[in-house]
Amino acid sequence: MKTFEEKWTAWLDGQLSGRELTEFEASLPDLATAEAEKRDAQKLGSFLKEQLTTQALSNEEFFNHQLRERIASDTQDRPRATSTWWTIPRLVWSGATALALFVITTVVLMTQHQPGEQSEYLTQILNTRVDPAANPSATISIFESKTDNKVTVLWTEGLQTLPADYAAK
Amino acid sequence: MFLILALSAVSADAAQAVWSGLVIAENVPQPAPIPPELTGLEQTLKDLFGYNQFEVIGQSNKTLKTGDEDWLANSKYFALHVDARGENDSGYSLNLTLYKEKDVLLETDANLSKSSPLVIKGPQVGSGQLLLVLVVKDDELAHRRRHAEPANPITTAWQRLRRAIHNVIP
Repeated sequence: MKTFEEKWTAWLDGQLSGRELTEFEASLPDLATAEAEKRDAQKLGSFLKEQLTTQALSNEEFFNHQLRERIASDTQDRPRATSTWWTIPRLVWSGATALALFVITTVVLMTQHQPGEQSEYLTQILNTRVDPAANPSATISIFESKTDNKVTVLWTEGLQTLPADYAAK
Repeated sequence: MFLILALSAVSADAAQAVWSGLVIAENVPQPAPIPPELTGLEQTLKDLFGYNQFEVIGQSNKTLKTGDEDWLANSKYFALHVDARGENDSGYSLNLTLYKEKDVLLETDANLSKSSPLVIKGPQVGSGQLLLVLVVKDDELAHRRRHAEPANPITTAWQRLRRAIHNVIP
């Protein structure tokens, strides 16, 4: 058994029909006033629906706006990359130039000081002569000792052997 | 200031001596101790020539003042004539002549470095080997003076600078 309020609400929403509608309208003291009230209620319902939909759109925009502002503020808060001369291409070019200079310097220095050339800090043999008549098969070679005291050795082979008496002081 | 530095550098350089020795190297059952002049070269000489005894049969210790001196290291039959022909940045320019009595056995021109001794393998003598050894040494008096007075850092720096400039502009 529906109460009057339930029937009234159903009538306002247009959900009563048939004998139930006829009986309810017959029970109303002033049908014209009730009809006016029903129209007002329907208008209010339409208005609220409209407003609620608009409100929902508005919220969406509001959140979008909030997000944009947050992104913008985050971007501003992040330390901005300072402008520098050392850009990546310049770094690459600088590295390549330094490497090229190193190679050129190394080549020049190696050209000036050949591996076989004697260092100025070592004793240098400029020339050597052995009497070819007395020592026809004599040969001469020059090398440096591998020890720490950097001895330069003039090595002769094929010199005439002398008797032991020549070792006298 | 420049003149003082230059003079002090020259005097420091000039206080050096060249030790020249005629050495007989041989293998004996009981080798004598190596002469003090060859102490620093003992292992090198043994490694190079394979002998266990080194005996000095003639020597000379010449202090060089101008770098143009000449001298003789004599034994009974051999003579090593050393003719110094000037000093350069790394040592002395020398002409060496080895005589056997009056015959020239060997002649050589060398730049003797202050940091690099010269050893010349001479003829075989009996069972041994004649060696000629030349070493640049600090003059003893100058050596003592340098130890008594620590090196002047300005002079040292000047010598280093002079050497560096000489290396860049030969």
